[in-house]
Amino acid sequence: MSFLSRLRRFPFWSWVWFIVGALYFILPLLATFEFSLTWDPAIPFKAYQRSFEDKDFWETFIYSNVLALATILFSILLIVPTAYWIRLRLPEARRIVEFITLMPFVVPAIILVFGMIRIYSAPFNVPFTDIQIMQPLTNFKAGTNVLIISGYMVLAMPYMYRSVDTGMRTVDIRTLTEAAQSLGANWFVIISRIILPNIRSALLSGALLTFAIVVGEVTLASFLGVDAFGPYLFLLGQHRAYEPAALSFVSFLLTWLAMGLIQLVSGGQGQAAGAH
Amino acid sequence: MSYLSLSNITKQFGDTVVVDNFNLDIAKGEFVSFLGPSGCGKTTTLRMVAGFEIPTSGRITLDGADITEKAPNQRNVGMIFQSYALFPNMTVAQNIGFGLSVRKESKEMIKQRVDEMIALINLEKHANKYPYQLSGGQQQRVSLARALAIQPQVLLLDEPLSALDAKIRVSLRAEIRAIQKKLGITAIFVTHDQEEALSISDRIVVMNTGLMEQVGTPFEIYNFPQTQFVANFVGSLNTANAEVSEPANGLVNVDGVQLITASDIKSRKKGDAIRVSIRPERFSFADNQKKDNVLDCTVENITFLGAVVRIQVKIGNAKFNMDTFNNPFLELPKIGSKQQVTCSKEAVLVLDE
Repeated sequence: MSFLSRLRRFPFWSWVWFIVGALYFILPLLATFEFSLTWDPAIPFKAYQRSFEDKDFWETFIYSNVLALATILFSILLIVPTAYWIRLRLPEARRIVEFITLMPFVVPAIILVFGMIRIYSAPFNVPFTDIQIMQPLTNFKAGTNVLIISGYMVLAMPYMYRSVDTGMRTVDIRTLTEAAQSLGANWFVIISRIILPNIRSALLSGALLTFAIVVGEVTLASFLGVDAFGPYLFLLGQHRAYEPAALSFVSFLLTWLAMGLIQLVSGGQGQAAGAH
Repeated sequence: MSYLSLSNITKQFGDTVVVDNFNLDIAKGEFVSFLGPSGCGKTTTLRMVAGFEIPTSGRITLDGADITEKAPNQRNVGMIFQSYALFPNMTVAQNIGFGLSVRKESKEMIKQRVDEMIALINLEKHANKYPYQLSGGQQQRVSLARALAIQPQVLLLDEPLSALDAKIRVSLRAEIRAIQKKLGITAIFVTHDQEEALSISDRIVVMNTGLMEQVGTPFEIYNFPQTQFVANFVGSLNTANAEVSEPANGLVNVDGVQLITASDIKSRKKGDAIRVSIRPERFSFADNQKKDNVLDCTVENITFLGAVVRIQVKIGNAKFNMDTFNNPFLELPKIGSKQQVTCSKEAVLVLDE
């Protein structure tokens, strides 16, 4: 093949747009990284050192990670059986459910959190009586955790539902279910041993998005008064210059690490499901 | 004594009757095929036996027990699907052992049974492969082994060969039949391919628009079709409009040409309009032997079909196909030449619409 014909085959414009897109994402990140190193020329990573030494950083970071994992777990428990059942038995309900899952895009988080505070800051009574069953959820730590995880589940629902639904579209859910049933499997076995493993990469994508939303979320955490990583970063950004830049860069690295792990874990699975 | 019995089975989806008053008794170890065009209700009937659909009315009994409303996972019925339906996340061995692990059998027992099944389908070298690493034919054999591993009372096959290419289809159907005979398992096979049904079955149920048209052995279905639909659907068929001329003697008139039929037309009146059907292979060129029907014809066309040569002839104003076996020394008539063809009176069928 001659040099000219090779040049003609070279996808010039594809590369141009790829480089423009990559620069758009990478330049701000590089700028943030570069800025985070300029605090003290003698100690280049001083902003990182100070951030990691801060007790509040670790406490809020670990707490937000636990919240994220809980949100992912409960979202999977809610959304996988729902999406599965809709695909299997209620395809006519799909449009309605898709509409519901899009609601968090329309209703801002501030509306959601005010609605939650309005309803759950009152005690739970036996209907039509003054007999109290439980104190308001906003009054104790476990109750607030339940509220914030529920709120995060709503915020993450569009991403989680779509990931799971797309994953289910790639496998023949109905026939696999019937095959498993004819072999004696019950619903629990079908979902845990057939459906979940076959949508593993879709679940991981949904989980990553949920994780990213929860760890950086500010509104719900601030108004429910919990010491999460989002409000911590927000406060830090208002009072300090270099540490927020360092932590933003660390957040990016963590996200990329998670994406790399997803690729690593789901590589073989995607091939198997695709071939089927 | 029937092993699997379907009594007065009707299935409706809304106002649409998909299966209408279906009655069938199947003996233990019998291989029965449901044959018919798309939408005739054959798959729905199979799915009712599997438990994926519940009949609107009627009962299904298996070995004396009523299973009409039993859940699919409580029936001990093995099923093979057109799309193989192997679990993509499991290896061949894991797929085959799945039903046994669900039944909480011991690891030793599962391993032994899986090894037996893998040997049965000759895939010993592929036990640790994933479904996507196998060909279509191999995947369907794994699906067969998986269904058989649980030792089902009935094996249901829903068009299992339709997704395979022609050669694999022929070899796999022979393999399925051999395994079924070896294990003595009762089987129901759904297909729209008449050749498949004729070659593999003990009995065939021909279905059309939710109704059973005819039940019989492949020989009976092909040679003695009871309805026009069965005769048309199974094998090739010449059909022509005719008029009854002498009911007592079985004489009919096709476009001015008299034919004698062995079908009973005594109940018809002279001048009644009927349709006669003749299989192409029942015609032959006239020789010196006496035949019931000797007909003058003109050769219109000759088509070479490999093992068979199809000759189109015009008898009166009606056109008929005539099949003759190919051989290298076959002397074919010239197109446009005048000939005489013959057929027996048994070959001339007068069928119900």
